[in-house]
Amino acid sequence: MRELASWMKERGPEGDIVLGTRCRLARNLRGIPFPEAANREQLREVLSQAAGVTPKLSPAGSFTFREMATMDALERELLVEEHLISPSHMQSPAHKAVILNDRHNISIMVNEEDHFRIQVLKPGLQLEEAWQRATRVDDLLEEHLDFAFDLKTGYLTSCPTNVGTALRASVMFHLPALRRVRKVQEVLGAVSKFGLTVRGLYGEGSDVYGNVYQLSNQITLGQSEEETIEHLARFTSQILHSERQAREYLLEKERRLTTEDWLYRSYGVLQNARILSSQEAMELLSDLKLGIDLGIIPHGDPELVKQLMVQIRAAHLQSIMGQPLPAQERDRLRASLVRDTLEKHMTKTQESR
Amino acid sequence: MLCDKCGQNEATVKFVQIENNKKTELHLCRDCAQGYTSFSPGFDLQQLLSSLFQSLSLGQKTAPAVAAKKCPTCGRTLGDIQQTGRLGCSSCYEVFREELSPVLRRLHGSGSHTGKVPARAFPRVHATRQMEELRKRLDECVRLEKYEEAARLRDELRLLEKELAGGEAR
Repeated sequence: MRELASWMKERGPEGDIVLGTRCRLARNLRGIPFPEAANREQLREVLSQAAGVTPKLSPAGSFTFREMATMDALERELLVEEHLISPSHMQSPAHKAVILNDRHNISIMVNEEDHFRIQVLKPGLQLEEAWQRATRVDDLLEEHLDFAFDLKTGYLTSCPTNVGTALRASVMFHLPALRRVRKVQEVLGAVSKFGLTVRGLYGEGSDVYGNVYQLSNQITLGQSEEETIEHLARFTSQILHSERQAREYLLEKERRLTTEDWLYRSYGVLQNARILSSQEAMELLSDLKLGIDLGIIPHGDPELVKQLMVQIRAAHLQSIMGQPLPAQERDRLRASLVRDTLEKHMTKTQESR
Repeated sequence: MLCDKCGQNEATVKFVQIENNKKTELHLCRDCAQGYTSFSPGFDLQQLLSSLFQSLSLGQKTAPAVAAKKCPTCGRTLGDIQQTGRLGCSSCYEVFREELSPVLRRLHGSGSHTGKVPARAFPRVHATRQMEELRKRLDECVRLEKYEEAARLRDELRLLEKELAGGEAR
């Protein structure tokens, strides 16, 4: 079976609520039009510089340069599901590439909206660490590449919403208790007033499901990277606090039984269902993760649930099964994968105790 | 019709999701819909940007001559940028500086970069900014009476000052 990206397997700080952290830096080469305005030769020139610089990244890990057009559709989709490339990078692969490290927690998209988009992914809440890695990779690139930069406007980007630091830092939250008590809007609704934004699991325009929300900074000009990280961290701790309060509320004596009943029912469906759509599976896995994190459902590994949240996605499922599957088959195999994984895992943990 | 999710309240929101070319429709009540909607319903960045450009950088009197102003490097006109909300290349920032600056202020609340500076391309500015940052941290350490770390930062600062003085020729 194909190895999952490391940041999706491991547990990180505040892992009961924060699934992962991401920092993205956009960079462009001086003198070459941005990808959207560049011609074929110019795009090839960016690719060739990217391929040439890849070996120089070795102090930060072992990196491989790959053109998107040389990958098959499934492989590209797997990378999207692991957040290593964006959906748009997959959809039109011509003259695009990705530089990936072997642990699959650093990726550099080449010729996406900007010439280079450096991304660092970390499990749990690790904003400072993710930023430090990203700036390190940026330093290594800058030793060999001429980036478009201006002292007044900062790093120049295709879209004026990214100009300046060109840093987008995101925290991926799992907020099932806030959703249960219908306070998600209240807690997250105000963030836009503070220069932050909330999105669904797969970024811009994606829907929220499985109670996974992404919080990121909106402003990139006029504040330093450290300030951006600090600001986001401050908000994150607020959200953590609210979610923990909601979880305590769900465990209070007068509603504990209702909470247990709800979470055990979801667990029961996951253990027994024969057909599962990806949306239903996400909702139920979200309940299961909460049940384990709250200590209601014993012998469970929350990280296993986090992994299942990715493995039930269409491309991962097809990769595990080793063949392309029609949608209906997928729902059947998704249910069977979930059943088998839970059965194998739960008995194993029980035996070892 | 009752809500597909809770089956208790009247459904007032239709939620449509398209995944892998498969369309799923859900009829939800207001409460259940809360969890499904993304937080920027109908938010179109490109449209917003282009309207920002149009209202701020040109005002009402968009003379054709102004809209035709062109970037010599990538060939994009101000009209193109207004339409797409995207710039064509790094020179565009120079060419359309005047038209861009109110847009940047509106988007970010400020017009000046205060973050990272590339070390190789701007060695002196990079070092100066690094020193400012070190001084800030040094003051903070002294305030918090973390003298050991303060001493370490002071040494680092001295080293940088020496380096900067040595590189005066650049």
